[in-house]
Amino acid sequence: MSRIAIKITGAQGQGVNSVGEICAKGLKRAGYCIFGYREYMSVIKGGHSSYQLDVSNEEVRSTHELVDILVCFNHHGLELNVEEVRDGGVIIHQSPDWKWSTKQSAELKKKKIITIVLPTEEILRKLRAKPILGNMLITSVVWALLGQSADALRKLASEQFASKKDLLELNMQCIDEGFAFTKKQAADVRVELPEHDDIWKDRMLLTGSEAMGLGAIHAGVRFYAGYPMTPSSPLLKFIADMQNKTGMVVKQAEDEITAAQMASGAMFMGTRALTATSGGGFDLMSETISLNAIIENPVVFVLAQRPGPATGLPTWTAQGDLLMAVSTAHGEFPRCVLSVSDAADCFELMPMAFNIAENFQIPVIVLTDKQIAEALYTQEKFDQSQTTFERGFLITEKKELAKLKATDRYDPEAEYGISKRWLPGAKAATYVAQGDEHNADGSVDETPENAKAQMEKRMKKGAVLAEATPEAMLYESDIGHRTSDKGNSEPKLDLLIVGWGSTKGPILDVMESLSRSPKSSVRSPRIGYLHYTYLWPLKTEKLQKLAKKAKHVVLIEGNYQGQLGQLIRQDCGLNLERKILKYDGRPFFYDELLEAVSFQLSASGKRFSSFTKS
Amino acid sequence: MSIPLQPNGPRMKDYSCANKCTWCDGCGDFGIWTAVKRSLVESGIPPHGVLLCYDVGCHGNASDKLLGYRFHGLHGRVLPFAAGAKLANPTLPIMTFGGDGASFSEGIGHLVHAVRSNYPIVFVLHNNANYGLTLGQASSLTWQNQKMNSSPNGIPEHTLPSMDFLFSLEPTFVARTFSGDIPQMTEVLKAALKHRGFAFVDILQACPTWNHFATHDYFLEHCYDANKEGHDSSDFKKARQIAVDTSKRISTGILYQREDLPDFYERLVPRQGRKTTPVEEVEITDVSEYMKMFI
Repeated sequence: MSRIAIKITGAQGQGVNSVGEICAKGLKRAGYCIFGYREYMSVIKGGHSSYQLDVSNEEVRSTHELVDILVCFNHHGLELNVEEVRDGGVIIHQSPDWKWSTKQSAELKKKKIITIVLPTEEILRKLRAKPILGNMLITSVVWALLGQSADALRKLASEQFASKKDLLELNMQCIDEGFAFTKKQAADVRVELPEHDDIWKDRMLLTGSEAMGLGAIHAGVRFYAGYPMTPSSPLLKFIADMQNKTGMVVKQAEDEITAAQMASGAMFMGTRALTATSGGGFDLMSETISLNAIIENPVVFVLAQRPGPATGLPTWTAQGDLLMAVSTAHGEFPRCVLSVSDAADCFELMPMAFNIAENFQIPVIVLTDKQIAEALYTQEKFDQSQTTFERGFLITEKKELAKLKATDRYDPEAEYGISKRWLPGAKAATYVAQGDEHNADGSVDETPENAKAQMEKRMKKGAVLAEATPEAMLYESDIGHRTSDKGNSEPKLDLLIVGWGSTKGPILDVMESLSRSPKSSVRSPRIGYLHYTYLWPLKTEKLQKLAKKAKHVVLIEGNYQGQLGQLIRQDCGLNLERKILKYDGRPFFYDELLEAVSFQLSASGKRFSSFTKS
Repeated sequence: MSIPLQPNGPRMKDYSCANKCTWCDGCGDFGIWTAVKRSLVESGIPPHGVLLCYDVGCHGNASDKLLGYRFHGLHGRVLPFAAGAKLANPTLPIMTFGGDGASFSEGIGHLVHAVRSNYPIVFVLHNNANYGLTLGQASSLTWQNQKMNSSPNGIPEHTLPSMDFLFSLEPTFVARTFSGDIPQMTEVLKAALKHRGFAFVDILQACPTWNHFATHDYFLEHCYDANKEGHDSSDFKKARQIAVDTSKRISTGILYQREDLPDFYERLVPRQGRKTTPVEEVEITDVSEYMKMFI
């Protein structure tokens, strides 16, 4: 795959995101697939931040550590990011007084890196434009270097500033200035993009949070309660910004316990309600999850992971809360834990999560992470035709309601342990949703017989759920896409990778590269990636079969302990000794993972690797 | 009380339940439990037409001692659950019950925000000034020098001035009554059920087992019906004053009420003009229009 990377760096609030977004949109419309990745610090203004776009005419799902163009809004980028520029790359900056050290100059010369100094202040002064206009000026230089047409950029600007006529005029002048500058000062500098492909033009460009928000709206969510916490806040923001279109009830609660309780109350009443938080907030929500388990109230909680413990690394990413999700909250009860891995999952799994919650009357926890929440995906329009609407044993018909007895609500004899559910306000026998151990109509009952019967009723639902949820999904390197199981014979693999969540993107990109031009000692290696979406109840039969036939099996996770590996071992005894683990707050980057997986392909490969970006 | 108040209206026995009450002899919960049922019956609300949400504590043990759709949740957390339920289906009346422990310690933040949000629900404070169910520990409303379970020297903290605190939150409905006066409780609860917004009903409750300072007799001696004495419940300043000053007499009745302010649901811009409830709107929703903004 031919790909390039553009990284825009600067202080938070300087316009890094706006340049990133406008470039992304323009390049997508020009026929490229974009993967956008943001890094920033937990401050509002001033912290060093970056927005990287990886661009290709084929599907790109990961971030390259080396970039072709580095844009520096201020000198910090020149200090901190210069080593990320690949040989022959370009640096654009606007610090005219910047002096490279002798060593740096030599290095840049050796690497044939071209530096372009844009006299932003001077140009803006000439145009009598405010500093914010520098964004468009920089964008137009990048645009020119990529060989893209000025008209395309003008069109984007006129869309963005349609309602602000004077600002639009200045933006247009900046575009002209940017192109004129590049023609004059950098006429022979060009960053070659691969041939464009029109399949990308009409795709959406959206973050995982936006995809998840659309998924929630699609699923029929009519109530959202949340408390701000990165990286769940972008979902709250999107849902809240959409409320005047969707008519949804949106409540910014006073804390996470409130958000959890409100969503639970709304679900109990019979709407579809959602809440989302990150680790610390989820800790606070856990008692409410336990409550929902005993009153058999369907709920969906989104857990957007970031590195802990405590406040940890608030604006960075991790897959460190899997074990928490599968074991959070007191008491024994069935639950479903699933994880999204990209924008498509974010959309599709929302209706699925609600269907599971309502079918089984259990808490469902949907894992995401900062990487997915804020990454920018080039995504085909979501297919809405496959969505099902399942509400399980919810009784709403008048005749059926009239037949109900209060003891139907928590009937321990109910098939699959799933008893009938009906909503407050329905003309029927009334029951109590009882947080104490209760008998069939919700009355408190502390007898040993009843305690046993009700525990068994609830746990039976877990066993049935385990039957109903799908196995992990196998992706194979020759295609890089989901493959159907061909009969019963499992493929014989050179390497079987096991993982979940956001690491799927870089893993698939790496697999594709290795199968096309193997860097490894194995020629045209056959690599399989077993991706876990449904993490609890955990299914390991497919894994065990595949692992038996694979030369090597490696676990890849964004945490220290190899948490999925622990769950697998707990479930079936299989010990995945080879692990690639990363726990420095950063996602897996394409090139580092390519190297690590290549190592694993050779028999003498390292048994354990962990990354820290120095 | 088996004669319906309206033709085909609910009767007291419609709310009756086979489970036996487990409260101590003389517990104020009996009176409150009766008044709650009476207020519902007299308001013409059948059991399937109400949601009763209970916090944890002695009062919460009422959750299976009457009929109606009921919820018995976590300690201190009943208000946000009830608020979520109400916003999902604003057509269903909701009564919420909590003790002074749950409402002024564990869940006090929820109370603050429920008042501030003006959720259209009734909140009944079972105010017996101690943690009864856990065997009589001090709550933040226990009188300061009382010896209590786990506070052999009395509590070092000063007693939380609950009414002054509540009035500082600019409530839209504040009433006080006491567990020995079923007719007054009934009237107050009926008014609370009709109120536009968050109705705070402080019920001073006898706890013969643990509370030996504010007893049934004490309430009988000290409580007076302020409404009967001509108190103007629209007068915020006066209401606050008679609510806070209990040194000689304890004012009861509807102390303060205003209905010119919209409740939380009424304030939600996206809900304006909608005839359906969020419960009725659940369906797989076409997002094609929304997807266009990402192209």
